[in-house]
Amino acid sequence: MSMLPAYYEFICPVKILSGRKALSNLPYELNLLGMHKPMVVTDQGIVKAKLLTRVTAALKDADIDIACLYDRTPPDSSDRVVNEVAVLYREKGCDGLIAVGGGSAIDTAKGVNIVVSHQTDDLLKFQGVDRLTAALAPLVVIPTTAGTGSEVTNVSVIYNETTHSKMAFMSNKLYPHVALLDPVMTQTMPPKITAATGMDALTHAVEAFTGLQKNPVSDAFALAAVRLVTQYLVAAVKDGDDLDARLAMANAALLAGVAFSNSMVGVVHAHAHATGGVAHVPHGVANSILLPFGMDYNLDKSAADLAALAPAMGIMAPGAGEREVAMKVIAAVRQLKADLKALCGLPETLSEAGVTRENIPDIARKAMDDGSLTYNPTEMTYEESLKFLAGAL
Amino acid sequence: MPDPHASTPMSVPVPRGQHLVRGAKYATCKASLLALGATFELVSAMVPEMKDEVSRWEDGRKVGIGVLPGGPFITIENRGGAIRYVGSGLKDTDLNVLFKNLDSAVLIFTGQLGSAQAVAENRVCVHGDNSKAMQVTRSLALVQTYLFPGIILRNTFKRPPALSASQLATKAAIMAMLVPKLAAISFR
Repeated sequence: MSMLPAYYEFICPVKILSGRKALSNLPYELNLLGMHKPMVVTDQGIVKAKLLTRVTAALKDADIDIACLYDRTPPDSSDRVVNEVAVLYREKGCDGLIAVGGGSAIDTAKGVNIVVSHQTDDLLKFQGVDRLTAALAPLVVIPTTAGTGSEVTNVSVIYNETTHSKMAFMSNKLYPHVALLDPVMTQTMPPKITAATGMDALTHAVEAFTGLQKNPVSDAFALAAVRLVTQYLVAAVKDGDDLDARLAMANAALLAGVAFSNSMVGVVHAHAHATGGVAHVPHGVANSILLPFGMDYNLDKSAADLAALAPAMGIMAPGAGEREVAMKVIAAVRQLKADLKALCGLPETLSEAGVTRENIPDIARKAMDDGSLTYNPTEMTYEESLKFLAGAL
Repeated sequence: MPDPHASTPMSVPVPRGQHLVRGAKYATCKASLLALGATFELVSAMVPEMKDEVSRWEDGRKVGIGVLPGGPFITIENRGGAIRYVGSGLKDTDLNVLFKNLDSAVLIFTGQLGSAQAVAENRVCVHGDNSKAMQVTRSLALVQTYLFPGIILRNTFKRPPALSASQLATKAAIMAMLVPKLAAISFR
């Protein structure tokens, strides 16, 4: 594919704060946003890991009180939870949101923002692309995982408890105003979650770089993400107190998030979403397992793009042809998976993650209905999806 | 003395040619959407893959397809496993597949750009459930397979469909029935 597509769009309006003690800048940013009565959305895991106290300590330094704290966000955000939180937001007269956590807390905060800004409790009517009309309240995101990149995306996915389906909302209004990366906020992530979320970031970057919607701007972000994951993921898994590695991985996730927010993902994510829905495999684990299989599947159409990832992954292959280099890149990803399994037991196959042969038809059917497939460079039928999944079993 | 800083509404004259061009684009889209509606009906009645695809739609699903901001639009509906062209306009639709402007729609309707590439170039947006949109996208691909000549399919599909002899015969039958079908649905 030529470097310059016939037409593309790119946006990233998020202010990014990254570094040690970045949290100390939080009060200044809240003031710039006019946020004096913030609501904090987080989960019990963050509270128990004492990460929330770091945030409240930063706010206390500037005499800012949290107007309302919601710390019961479940692992999969739902419309019931969003509406519950929105009621609290209104009752306490909050004027902005701070999401502290992983993808679920961030998506919940984005969902709450839709509800409170549109004076509604019916999220269904905003499903789809560019459906939001009102300006949203200020949103600051402090991620505590280094994977989803939700701190720089314009998407929120909320589970609908009535229809038992996931609702996806995509709008440029959903971009957070500030993303704050402080390595202490990811320091307590256990090795296996560090590995899984790191591979999630790598998958975002690779799929953004090889998909139909790729463009030169998102490519730059994707390559930087791949470079950081290659250099720092294993170090972060081996030693969680390595703050340089933690900060690098947080940046990798953010950069990959910017990339895929602007050039989407593909076959790996389509199947990872479906695997999560059917067999409850965590998103990062599913992406990690499926990534090299997805790269293999796209090899014919994406050899040039895959080969272009080689320098970022430290692969030198002078004189080798494009396809050969692309295969070395795929092999490097398989090796990374093997290293992570040895270090922390991250599953390498679907069966290791608890997926059975009987799950495969359901997963394939769901994957066919996943919008990510549209952006995959290679067409995939239901029968091909069955084969793809069987290969990863 | 008029205040040079006062803001006054400015009417910028549009060349007459531009009106005609816009009119031609609108007419192309309107005719294409009508053809799409007619072909949807024919393909859902005659092509087994389409029947299989639509069998997963809930009965009564209404899908709008059209061009922002001001049309044209059509609505199609799943009635008992068969797609029926309801009429022009968006009529209580559950899901809308919308081209952002006439230029984008013309590119797709005239076979210059494939659906996947159109989505990748942000020329299309979906209002509604994404998974249902994917089902509609697949059915649209089947309709295009039986509507467009092979040369267009080769240029616009990620993997151009390879039709068997019997599928080619079905395609020929659909083409033969298209004009009478267009006449039949034109006044719905």
